[in-house]
Amino acid sequence: MGAANDDNEEYEFGDDDTGARPTANDNDTKSTVVARSSSSSSTDSKKSTPADSSVVFSPELLGMYYSRLFPYQLLYSWLSYDPATAKPTNGTNTNKVATTSSSSTFPRREFSMTIEPTPGNEVYIRYQSFLSQDELTSAIIKRRPTKIDIGAVFNHPPKDNKSLPAGKLQTTERELVFDIDLTDYDSVRNCGCDGAKICHKCWKFMGMAIEVMDEGLRSDFAFEHVAWFYSGRRGVHCWVCDDTARKLSNEARSAVASYFEVNLGSEKNKNFHLSSPLHPMLVRAYKILEPNFVSCVLPEEGHGLLATRASWTKLLLTLPNAANPVAAKLEEKWSWSKDDTTPEEKWNELKSALMAFIGKGGNNHNAKQVKSLSNADRLRIEHWPLETVFKYTYPRLDINVSKMQNHLLKSPFCVHPKTGRVCVPIEVDKVDSFDPFKVPTLAQLMKELDEYEATNTDSSESVRYDWEKTSLKEPFECFQKKFLVPLLNEERRAQKEERERRAAIVGDF
Amino acid sequence: MNVAGSIRSRPAPLSDGKRRGYADGIGGGIASSSIDVDMYTDVPSFELSLDEFEEYALARLKVLRKIEEMKTRNLTPEMFRTQLDASIKANLTVTTANNSNPWESKQSSNSNTNMAEASKKLDVASHFILRAAYCRTEDLRRWFLTQECHLFRHRLESVAQTQTGSITDGGGGKKNNDALRNFLANNDFDLECVSRSEKEKLRDKLLSVPSGVNPMDFHNTEYYRVPFVQALELVAKRECYILGGYAYVPLSRIVSIVAAKFRATLSKSLALAAGVFGQVAHDEQARIGPLLKSMNSQYTGPGAPNAVLGADGQEVLTAATVDALAAQSMPLCMKQLHKGLQRDHKLKHMARLQYGLFLKGAGMSLEEHTLFFHKEFTRIMTSDQFNKEYSYSIRHMHGKEGKRGSYTPYNCMKIILGNPPNSGVEHHGCPYKHYDDANLSALLGQLKIGNASEREAIMAHKRDGNFQLACAKHFEVMHPAAASLEGVNLDGVGNHPNAWFSASVSYHNAKSRNGASMDVVKVEGAV
Ligand SMILES: [Zn+2]
Repeated sequence: MGAANDDNEEYEFGDDDTGARPTANDNDTKSTVVARSSSSSSTDSKKSTPADSSVVFSPELLGMYYSRLFPYQLLYSWLSYDPATAKPTNGTNTNKVATTSSSSTFPRREFSMTIEPTPGNEVYIRYQSFLSQDELTSAIIKRRPTKIDIGAVFNHPPKDNKSLPAGKLQTTERELVFDIDLTDYDSVRNCGCDGAKICHKCWKFMGMAIEVMDEGLRSDFAFEHVAWFYSGRRGVHCWVCDDTARKLSNEARSAVASYFEVNLGSEKNKNFHLSSPLHPMLVRAYKILEPNFVSCVLPEEGHGLLATRASWTKLLLTLPNAANPVAAKLEEKWSWSKDDTTPEEKWNELKSALMAFIGKGGNNHNAKQVKSLSNADRLRIEHWPLETVFKYTYPRLDINVSKMQNHLLKSPFCVHPKTGRVCVPIEVDKVDSFDPFKVPTLAQLMKELDEYEATNTDSSESVRYDWEKTSLKEPFECFQKKFLVPLLNEERRAQKEERERRAAIVGDF
Repeated sequence: MNVAGSIRSRPAPLSDGKRRGYADGIGGGIASSSIDVDMYTDVPSFELSLDEFEEYALARLKVLRKIEEMKTRNLTPEMFRTQLDASIKANLTVTTANNSNPWESKQSSNSNTNMAEASKKLDVASHFILRAAYCRTEDLRRWFLTQECHLFRHRLESVAQTQTGSITDGGGGKKNNDALRNFLANNDFDLECVSRSEKEKLRDKLLSVPSGVNPMDFHNTEYYRVPFVQALELVAKRECYILGGYAYVPLSRIVSIVAAKFRATLSKSLALAAGVFGQVAHDEQARIGPLLKSMNSQYTGPGAPNAVLGADGQEVLTAATVDALAAQSMPLCMKQLHKGLQRDHKLKHMARLQYGLFLKGAGMSLEEHTLFFHKEFTRIMTSDQFNKEYSYSIRHMHGKEGKRGSYTPYNCMKIILGNPPNSGVEHHGCPYKHYDDANLSALLGQLKIGNASEREAIMAHKRDGNFQLACAKHFEVMHPAAASLEGVNLDGVGNHPNAWFSASVSYHNAKSRNGASMDVVKVEGAV
């Protein structure tokens, strides 16, 4: 603890009073700079004016977003974990943000930025850190990063990394993070999307993943401060911010990630098998996922698994060989021209036929045939519906992101350069109604700002931040109310307890 | 804090095998003699002789190296268990009562307790000695931690298995169950017993955890609640039920948790110990520091304490062959002892130990040893005098008198660190360390070791204080291309006189197998 305070003497700039601010270049040379070839990023080279609404993203739009809309105060307050930051400064910005209190982890937090000094020339700068909200703000506005990543909290401010002896800079804490990406669902996306492409049909998978993970993190691990964000394009990020989660060792992170990870088989080896009996976590996941599977995956308007003869034939072929009699019977029945069962009815029919076949469930009229099944076959048939539901809908985590304290993850509130969409918070209660195609783009936001200012000419009204004038108001306020306030209240409670504990110890002597 | 602080050395008891009372502070162990699990959380307070200090450490080192070696091979769990049990039994278990009075051995129950206590002392002391020796660098710490965790886990699993495996004969299983529970209670595990009603309420969930408990035994199974971070291995494999941040674990699976805690605690202790190591090393116990420092390079492989066999598979070292072998295959220190014995027809105490244990380690039997010394000593004394004054100590060295264990042959570090010989009168010690430059240089020339530049290379090592490198260079000069010969094991050459000897004998065996005359080699070397 003492060491962290000592470090404050070392900074050469960053206090608002110091007149001479270093240029971006000065700072860059102190950091790890990695130039990347960016042949892939071609969309940004077109110049456009902010007014052109057909362009969702441009350096100029990004500049305006950073100077007017980016929620610096929310990000700073969150990453400070300091209740003192809960009261935001006035919109006038004349109030200086109080110097970060010594307990705050903010000055030791790594930020990294991807910048484009010239179009098409991407530079990646690691080990940035900032002493205050103002310092963060001016760095972002000046550099106009196309991407901001958030790393771990270190034992020293990471920006001092070059002046520290090798190996001296070590992570001390970090939110537990999860990354779920629709590209990992390519083998089960029957909607026609692949890679970075998404549609409403496959986005449903993200909603299901969020529901399963959120429930697991909260009820199994008792984490309370779990925030979800749209990654701006084709996935979601989860930040678990409880004090206990932030202090987890790498080993513990790996264990939690592995706990949730289910090996769903690969392209090459499509068969995967759940162990028996099924772990309670997976039983619960199935209860969450199966109704979604029935409503979002089976029907024509989903992924059409039981919608056409071709598709159900394909599905029935994935049954264990021992269940061939069931497959044959249902195939014949469903293909009869007068059969008008819905995909949902077919699913239920299939499940009960399988259970009856192995001697579970109601009409067990063929005891002889049941007996002839091996235990292994019986188990495989019993698990088939579970495995099928899981194969399509169980969260596919990129667990490498979760395993290490010092893995960088894109900052919430950034803008995805390909889509121009903001990485907005997702409210878990309303995950079903979250529509990635309705997430505001930069161009749309600029238009909203203009419209607001044209209709509200009275400058005395009480809008504190410009984002309140746009459609970011709802997701940002929700983040503040449902995530940030409870988080900081918790921190306040913990600080108070710590003070009392210390007072009690001192009192003893 | 000071991990080795309370393990004190005292002068080696040479006259008899009497020992002061041991363990006055073994903590954290399972009190039952059948279970050898210890968290090693409390630093013991032992009185150890310097001999024991080293003997204990090497005994444990053998077990840990065995573990390392087994882990590199792909053994089945059963094979791993069996072989490790054998190694523990051979090295870390005292099977003869540590008892100075042989007549007491009739009271067998008493001696069983003694053996258990002696084993316990050996286990605890050797752990702490190696902990001090292996805390110095990151690599050493990691190595020690890894092997110790395997050892700990193996022992704990043995306990848990006895318990779960013996459901049918309820009595024995129950007993161990109690022992394990006591062990947990004594070691402050943050475990909370799940109440009967909560357990019944969670029955379905607890029973649907893979590798869990047989439903038949559920009623009689105790479950514990532990913070999930203490059960990471089970969490990662979904082998426990988790609720509200707690893992629910049956007693038998506590093993994983205890093992994880052992690892974390030991890892932390090693890091702390690294900080105080300097203090231990430069303590007034000046002998312990260097001993600890060299521990990790100690030679424990076959060869040193084992008999050296000739090409015919017979032990080569007898009263009849010792003269020739001293000239052909002994390192400088032993050559000098042999020469001293031939010249003076007697050896002083320290020399008798250094040379006698070397001969014993190289396979000279008690009878041959006595015969050889008798032959030399009786040139200047009567047979009676020899028998009265010297044969006892030879028998003692071979474990036939006093402490019925056995003395270990001295390794280089021990010889180098020992008291320097009284020049001209005593012949023990390490010539590279204890002779001055002029004497050593003259000796090398006199023995016709190598050519002038090779002798200079040996001298350069000596002047740099690298006595063991000088000795290894001597070997290299006398045994050209030894590494390329089949059946020649060079491990420990320069660390242990017995390894030097054994490597040299096998070198000459290989040479004669290959038809080359060893005289040719000698002539080349002598130019
Ligand atoms: Zn799609």
